[in-house]
Amino acid sequence: MYQQLKDKNFEIISVAQDTGGVKDARPWITAAKPTFTALIDEKHLVSKLYNMVNVPTGVWINEKGRIVRPNEVAFVDDRFKTFTGMDSAPYLNALKDWVDKGAQSQYVMSPEQLKQKLSSNDPNIALAAAEFGLGEQLYSRGHPSEAIPHFKEAQRLNPKSWNYKRQAYLLGDAKRDYGTTFKDEVEKIGGSKLYYTPPDLPGSTRKDPKDQQK
Amino acid sequence: MQPKHLAAVVLLMVMGVSLAQAKETRATIVYDDVATEISSADQQPGQLWITTGDLTRSMQFEVKPQGVCRKELCFPIPKTRKQAFLHESSGKQWFNLLAFADLVHQPVAHDEALATWYFGQRSDQRQMLTSLEAPNFTLPDMEGKLHSLADFRGKKVFLVTWASW
Repeated sequence: MYQQLKDKNFEIISVAQDTGGVKDARPWITAAKPTFTALIDEKHLVSKLYNMVNVPTGVWINEKGRIVRPNEVAFVDDRFKTFTGMDSAPYLNALKDWVDKGAQSQYVMSPEQLKQKLSSNDPNIALAAAEFGLGEQLYSRGHPSEAIPHFKEAQRLNPKSWNYKRQAYLLGDAKRDYGTTFKDEVEKIGGSKLYYTPPDLPGSTRKDPKDQQK
Repeated sequence: MQPKHLAAVVLLMVMGVSLAQAKETRATIVYDDVATEISSADQQPGQLWITTGDLTRSMQFEVKPQGVCRKELCFPIPKTRKQAFLHESSGKQWFNLLAFADLVHQPVAHDEALATWYFGQRSDQRQMLTSLEAPNFTLPDMEGKLHSLADFRGKKVFLVTWASW
């Protein structure tokens, strides 16, 4: 995809949210041989700054450095299609449309829509980020078991964040430390097809699986 | 209880009280995700006092006449509550980080056993998103070379996160 678009004044920045840093992210980046900018974010700074709760999450930023489409699930290939039931094509087409048409693209959101989606004045979410940050600090400074109560507190304060669950599970033993597993958690919400909320694309024919069940 | 034992107990109690009053211990302050070791901090419930020198060292904030400042960013200290923020003792000026965090609506996570304090995002940092300005960040690539979002100004950017987990 990038090869087609990169001459159109367009850049992809992929950011790995891995507390394990280069050690955990390197095999994946090496395998992908990216021609785009691939960055490592041990402290989950980007998720913190943009209030992201899962991966992959995409944000569109225009030439002036302004957000024109905020956080949403962003699959650019179909590697995980059997798990998510989500086809990447509509999202990719939307992205190409924006690269071609810019502000005229139907996928660019109005400032009002954006503000509504981006506003977060929930103090619990901010505190959850601090608890998670403390957990990461303790973990990376050699105190993995002391990190666990803080990861748990982050999960309790912001239960919507899959980032807080999955990263914490990876750093320890999910069953032993948290009494659960990723699989159990996905089953709790009704299975992997409900794990991601599909991107809200105008003209998209794909229905939200939650609606299909009704 | 024999009088001399009683005296010993009283002495211990007095010592206990004086220790509680000036309990300067080490602490780790994490600000903007950077950890700084503080050799003498006064940690009490709801209060965390460090010297103004350590304030600058750990947080790059300075106490100035107009407030607590970092470059052009300045938070005035409420005049009527100044003693909750600042006091002088043993020839140094001390600053209460928890009063400041409260003032700037900043969440604080604390690990008591490891005396580690993590300061989250201030409300001015959190509100940046609703300005629709994409928050800038600087991160390394696999070779350690740093890249900033701001470097790509003038291009459309598709920012996408992922993880190995």
